Amino acid sequence: MAFNSFSYFLFLPAVFIIYYFTKDSCRWLVLLAASIVFYAFLKVPHLIPILLLITTITYCTGIGIERSNIPKTKCYLLWGGIAANVMTLVLLKYLPFLTQNLNILIRSIASLIMSFQDKPTITYLVLNHINTAIISIGASYYIFQAISYLVDIYLGIEKAERNFGYFALYMSFFPKLLQGPIERAADLLPQLKKPYTFSYDTVRAGMLLFVWGLFKKMVIADRLALLVDPVFNNVHAYVGFPLLLATYYYALQIYFDFSGYTDMAIGTAGIFNITLTRNFNKPYFATSIADFWRRWHISFSRWILDYIFKPLQMSCRNWGTWGTATALLVTFLISGVWHGANWGFIVWGLLHGLYLACSVFYKPIQKKIHKSLGISSRSGMYKTWQVFFTFNLVCFAWIFFRANTISDALYIVGNMANSFSNVLSISYLENNIVFGKDIYEFYRLAAVFSLFMIFSNYINTITEKPAYVRWIYYNMISAAILFLGVYDDIKFIYNRF
Amino acid sequence: MNAIETLNTIFQRVFDDDGICIRPEMTADDIDGWDSLSHVNLITTVETKFNVRFTQKELLRMKNIGNLLRTIETKIADRS
Repeated sequence: MAFNSFSYFLFLPAVFIIYYFTKDSCRWLVLLAASIVFYAFLKVPHLIPILLLITTITYCTGIGIERSNIPKTKCYLLWGGIAANVMTLVLLKYLPFLTQNLNILIRSIASLIMSFQDKPTITYLVLNHINTAIISIGASYYIFQAISYLVDIYLGIEKAERNFGYFALYMSFFPKLLQGPIERAADLLPQLKKPYTFSYDTVRAGMLLFVWGLFKKMVIADRLALLVDPVFNNVHAYVGFPLLLATYYYALQIYFDFSGYTDMAIGTAGIFNITLTRNFNKPYFATSIADFWRRWHISFSRWILDYIFKPLQMSCRNWGTWGTATALLVTFLISGVWHGANWGFIVWGLLHGLYLACSVFYKPIQKKIHKSLGISSRSGMYKTWQVFFTFNLVCFAWIFFRANTISDALYIVGNMANSFSNVLSISYLENNIVFGKDIYEFYRLAAVFSLFMIFSNYINTITEKPAYVRWIYYNMISAAILFLGVYDDIKFIYNRF
Repeated sequence: MNAIETLNTIFQRVFDDDGICIRPEMTADDIDGWDSLSHVNLITTVETKFNVRFTQKELLRMKNIGNLLRTIETKIADRS
């Protein structure tokens, strides 16, 4: 069930009413049942059994690790639990990709030896039917939670949960089930157990954040998608400025789409008095790529930092700076692979790894350059340059993330700097800013961003204003969603990861 | 010089700041320049100076200077 679907607008109030009138000892059951119904609405039959399987394996392994007094057994249990989780994820997400690439390899080798070009290989015949059958929505997120839970128990910084019901709810809690935030057991489990106290202010804040997320998704992200998709789905029809602008549009689209979803998730959880992890902190104002990763998809970057980068970096600590650079490259390669079985994601991850690895070597040199040129790293001008440069590095990597194929991405990179000779005119705007749509689309886009600027100024303080100001604000956001929203059933981008 | 004094000298050298005065509850947020890169330098310097080798598990469990100090002291006690 998508957060921006009509069924969810009925589902959420219904769950809240049942939750409100249920006694504290059974409230977790209401949320667990709601989470299963929410997941079942996706109508993918294998998803719930896999969620149950991962939950059961992780629950039992966690208790096993805690109970065992033998360090070796603890270690085997940890690796067994991680392997079960990772293998499930690989089967769900990467089997078609692996099969396809293995098939290409086998066919190439075979065609060299004998003329097999037109004959499908056995692996292809056996596994090809799986390509369309397997969908992994949500799995990447709860599997990451499961792995962090097991590692934390192994390290002794978290206690194994003995109540299977609470643990199942920690894994499947519906606001964060489909695309995070990726929650740590220490943050979420205690909140699921505490008695519920109704607070009008909390419910109102949750609802407001939900509607704000809906505005970001339906009014901004989906409107940008109408401009981005035609370009990225037919890149060879464009040259020069439209390719550059579509890249910037996509950078904004993915931010508003994902942060909109996260706002809706945090808002939904807030209605039940549960606080989820903040996932975004103005990422496009980052002054370096490292800073960007402290602000973008925070729950995910914290995860890869704690469970992939740190262990890798410490294993390579005797290599000095090269060890850190290698750890960064490998971590971000894994991050790319996590996003999906696609070469574009892998290149995107490697680019971020490369940016960060280069910065490790550049940092000491940068200090010397600044000292010799007398540049203050605190000056406003320098910070603006850093933000601009970082944003463009991020956008460059987004090209590979969004393009349908690597050759499309390379075409964009090779042709985005051509043909900047047009002048500002209506036809220029129609052809180059809104890509052939009428000029009103340009006005709508300008109106949407103006509204965003106005609304975002008050989103954190509106609840302190008098009632009539609040209601004007609520009605304006609702009207913007109704009249400027896009109703084309555009899926959340991060649902597929 | 006891363990905490030696550790303090290491911190001063790694972070190039003679004014550093470490306390057990301090974390990376409390010391300027304690990022992932300098953390590696810190750990390798500590290992060399105290002649100890941390395991992966010990390193991942360390949340503050107090944890680091206790781990060093345990390792030295185990050795002697």
